[in-house]
Amino acid sequence: MTARSYEGVALCCPVTEPYVRRSDHGAAWFLAQALRRLLDASGVAKPDIDGLCASSFTLHPDTAIGFTQYAGLSPRMLEWLPMGGACGVIALRRAARAVQAGDAEIVACIAGDTANETSFRDLLATFSSFSRHAVYPYGAGGPNASFALIADAYMRSTGATREDFGTLAVSQRANARRNPLALLRNELTMADYLAARPIAEPHHLFDCVMPCAGADGFLVMPEARARSLNLPFVRVLGTIERHNGFPDDPVQSRGGWAMDRDSLWAQAGIGPGDVQLVETYDDYPVISMLQFEGLGFCAPGEAPGFVRRHDFTIEGSLPHNTGGGQLSMGQAGAAGGYLGLVEAMRQLLGEADRRQVPGARHALVSGFGMINYDRGLCTSAAVLGRT
Amino acid sequence: MIRLQRCVACGVAQYPSREICVACLSDRLAWETADSLPGCVLARTRLHHSNEPRFRPHLPLTVGLVQFDAGPVAVCFLAETAAPGDSVQVRIGMGDLLEAA
Repeated sequence: MTARSYEGVALCCPVTEPYVRRSDHGAAWFLAQALRRLLDASGVAKPDIDGLCASSFTLHPDTAIGFTQYAGLSPRMLEWLPMGGACGVIALRRAARAVQAGDAEIVACIAGDTANETSFRDLLATFSSFSRHAVYPYGAGGPNASFALIADAYMRSTGATREDFGTLAVSQRANARRNPLALLRNELTMADYLAARPIAEPHHLFDCVMPCAGADGFLVMPEARARSLNLPFVRVLGTIERHNGFPDDPVQSRGGWAMDRDSLWAQAGIGPGDVQLVETYDDYPVISMLQFEGLGFCAPGEAPGFVRRHDFTIEGSLPHNTGGGQLSMGQAGAAGGYLGLVEAMRQLLGEADRRQVPGARHALVSGFGMINYDRGLCTSAAVLGRT
Repeated sequence: MIRLQRCVACGVAQYPSREICVACLSDRLAWETADSLPGCVLARTRLHHSNEPRFRPHLPLTVGLVQFDAGPVAVCFLAETAAPGDSVQVRIGMGDLLEAA
């Protein structure tokens, strides 16, 4: 069955509560800052927000429902999307369909987290039932260890090298140097990358994201409403999501994108060669490479060659993670699942300032989340277009 | 003794353990026990960083993914000598955790 189009849906007002390394504020404060920024950017009054999609790891024990009372919202449509790095595109999907169906008129999509001395460790120690009993006791390496195992298997099966991972990390840092919102803006050379201390081999320091606090958000509404509010907007050309794709692969060598990418590009009516920028979920460079393969930019196992052929900086052959990605912006918990989407919106709206990709008309955004046991379970992707 | 869960209804082995069978959803599950179980190393990492202070004196730690011959995949502590592709035996070691060598 072919997915119905997203005709008539407008994506507006990408906002970011600037990331900080640590904060004494709670997660609800960060979510509320994203919400306040959405109201300021749109001119919409709070009571007119009648739909809410929210994601956060550190809001626990609360969820989106508690946040409605905390922030004084009375939405008639509410989604709590605990899907980590896949949550931005999934929020977009839920919000867009709610708007098309008339279940909500203006949906605020927000994700954010706080970070302090103990929040990251607490999150890891209780991340999932499987993880608590069958992963974390094995050295408590957290995602660094789990993704190191995936990277080790990937390097052995494809011939990927540390330099290939470094190409992505170094070019993202070059992009981040033009982004005032990025936490890491010092120059990073390939020599720096290769000389970094090991964290969980084959992963070294610059393969790993830095946990931080922050929030991102955007609004979804009917095009007619966006026009009446004089808000520039981005169109949704196609989206996909998949959970627990390819469960029989012994080690994760592909994500669920590969199951759905034909649907994605068919919905969009364009192909991977027709986008001017790509925003992948880059908790580690190897995961970006799985996205290049899974979404049809190259064949399975061929991302190392693909990476060697391309320049991923703003003026390069394929601008990638144009704001610096999580590797240079920081990983503000669930906001990491929004970062690429918000950056793609800014690019397509022409709001990316010094890092603007010239002639950006179409963008691919993808998400990846929730390493429940040995692999990331949630995958999502969207193709967006300039109006 | 190491034990692995197997579904009485459909015969599928699973790890981590569950209250139902991942394949057929039956709750008729049995435990197979042995001194050790054979498997193959799929991937390994050396941890130089731990989020828990109690592990820090023991770094670096070697951790791997091992596929039991019975099918499922487990995260294990790995012997220094065990490399991906090697056949190993998985036992219960310190702290009731899996060790492969």
